[in-house]
Amino acid sequence: MKIKLFENTSDYTVIIGCGRLGANIANTLSDEESNVLIIDKDKSSFRKLSPSYGGLMITGDGTDFDVLSDAQIEKATAVVVVTNNDNINVMIAQIAKEIFNVNHVIARLYDHEREFIYKEFNIDTICPAILSANEINKFLLRSSTKNEKSNHNKISMQKGVI
Amino acid sequence: MKKQILLVGGRSKAKSLALSLLNKGYRVTIINDNYEDCIKLAEMKNLDVINGDGSKPFVLEDANASNADIVIALTSKDEDNLVICELCKKKFGIKKTVALVNDPKKTEFFYKMGIDSVVCAITAVTNIIEQQAFLDEMSNVIPIGEGRIQIAEVPIPGSSPIVGKKLWEINLPKEVIIGCVLRGNSTMIPRGDTRILAGDLLVLISDTKHEMEAIKELTGR
Repeated sequence: MKIKLFENTSDYTVIIGCGRLGANIANTLSDEESNVLIIDKDKSSFRKLSPSYGGLMITGDGTDFDVLSDAQIEKATAVVVVTNNDNINVMIAQIAKEIFNVNHVIARLYDHEREFIYKEFNIDTICPAILSANEINKFLLRSSTKNEKSNHNKISMQKGVI
Repeated sequence: MKKQILLVGGRSKAKSLALSLLNKGYRVTIINDNYEDCIKLAEMKNLDVINGDGSKPFVLEDANASNADIVIALTSKDEDNLVICELCKKKFGIKKTVALVNDPKKTEFFYKMGIDSVVCAITAVTNIIEQQAFLDEMSNVIPIGEGRIQIAEVPIPGSSPIVGKKLWEINLPKEVIIGCVLRGNSTMIPRGDTRILAGDLLVLISDTKHEMEAIKELTGR
């Protein structure tokens, strides 16, 4: 039997992979009172969801067409693919895009070398390593400018002394 | 120049495939992520073996993927096979990509993603078992087009309901044609008004789904 999920809504997000990232996104969206469904092959992963989580959960393999059509992924406004395996993410993102014609697909990719596959299929990618590197660079830049400033101050102070 | 073939993953499948390809005079490179397996494989003559994950671009680069003519992805994971073929096609420009797929439902999807040839082990094996179990009377079956089309020889027994009928009188599915009739020493390309006699050998071309139906219709079994 097919249940009608979130009928007549204009916003419905499907998240595949209930790890730290997936659960976090699901909790946030649920708190914002969006319609969320999360899929994971391991039931115990759902303990990461907060007690106030008000969305749906499906236990199943996210690469299985039957599981995806049970989740009515074709009606989703966005699909977020965040399992811990790059290749699985690549495949699910492509299934969502090409078989279920989902407009907006976002996938996490640990190895950015495979990114060009996504580009061709118009899938948005998030690469944790690159994001972290950018953030760390920002911190480094900030601390180095701070040092420069303090050096500068020292010099001007010394000048003042002289 | 010898054709270059790249095999990725698969233990015994890769081994027997490599052996047969080497015998046919191809150059074969195997990528395998299990070190022990690699050592075993490396015992074979004239075979290049690379230890690594074939779904990673730099491993494929080590294996000289851009010089390969054909890549065959044999790992046990569908997603890995998909990514390997896509990388080989798009990054390394390999013309022909072949992928093994475990989930029969994904065959269509793999073709849609641009893989040239998709082999579903489960479908292939079940088809063969079905033929062996139920179609003893068929002496020869040749699968073509990745097993979607079959060419079969069907002998017509005297008990068959179609004996004496003209071809257009037989109620065959649309997806099936009788390509040739072998009668004694003569061969005929049949037309609608060709009469089928007992003892004829029909060469049947059909898609896999309708083959059984057609054979039942022809032999009455």
